[in-house]
Amino acid sequence: MSPVPGAGRMEQLVEAIAERVVNLVLDAIDVNALVSQVDVDGLVDRVDVEKIIDRVDVQKIIDRVDVDQIVARVDVQAIIQRVDIDSLVEQTELGTIIAHSTSGIASGVLDVVRAQGVGLDDFVARWVNRVLRRSSADWPAGPVKLLAPVPVEVPSMDVAG
Amino acid sequence: MTSPPVVAAPPEAGRLGNYAGGVTRLVAFAADIGASWGLFTLGLAGLTFAINLVTGKQVNLASRQIVALVAIIIWEFVYFAYQWSLAGKTMGMALLGIRVVATDGDPITPRQAVIRTLALPLSFLLLGLGFIGILLNKDRHALHDRLAKTVVVYSWDARAARLRWLAKQEPTTPA
Repeated sequence: MSPVPGAGRMEQLVEAIAERVVNLVLDAIDVNALVSQVDVDGLVDRVDVEKIIDRVDVQKIIDRVDVDQIVARVDVQAIIQRVDIDSLVEQTELGTIIAHSTSGIASGVLDVVRAQGVGLDDFVARWVNRVLRRSSADWPAGPVKLLAPVPVEVPSMDVAG
Repeated sequence: MTSPPVVAAPPEAGRLGNYAGGVTRLVAFAADIGASWGLFTLGLAGLTFAINLVTGKQVNLASRQIVALVAIIIWEFVYFAYQWSLAGKTMGMALLGIRVVATDGDPITPRQAVIRTLALPLSFLLLGLGFIGILLNKDRHALHDRLAKTVVVYSWDARAARLRWLAKQEPTTPA
């Protein structure tokens, strides 16, 4: 309570007037027009970003990030699926490296012979199924253990170290 | 360290582990017959030469039909049983990229290899009907597969082969 009698009421009155005035002023001002007049580029130029960055303890921020948790959330398989490996191999030196490591006329011939064999296997199987009027869509492709999902090891990343 | 997530192998990963079809198996078998006969002939010629050299007499083992028949049966048994028990594949199968495994996908045991080898002639003796399962069964079981509890799968990755083929092509210049 104020020591001067009636000062409390006066204070409330002044506050109410001020509030009203401010609202009137704000209503009268076109904020968008005001902002458009501000030279933002000039302001940014005056900011010393390097100094701000110097003040930030990046290491401390990194230490607080749980990289393992982030990596665990990443669907690596989905990412791999989106990569066009064929085009990657075609357009990069990776192709040459693979070619050098596995090249040889023999391996090329083997690939062709085997591919022909697989193609003929499929052709025969298709015709047998057609003749017997059955579908092999639900059939197992191979033994369970050989077709079981492949576990992908996600390496632990120690950032703090 | 997080527990490793389990990701299903993509379908385009190749034919690795899929049941092998009849054509590939037939060609592999033909290659094996050729290889085993070739090796047998070479061995027989070498043995005949060695006997002639040591004894000084002209002996022709090939002309003794019973001996040759017994020798070829034993040789064929050794050829198939030994290679199946050792690596799950014969030379012909390695050439065509297939191998024999147990029905659950495990490597076959020497016992299974021996049973499979002994049962193989049965598939022929039944007028070839022992092989009909390769075309008709879900798991492409022949009679000798059923008796030995084995299956034949592709051990060849078609996708890897495609990458090798692509790698040998001239790199295309990006647009």
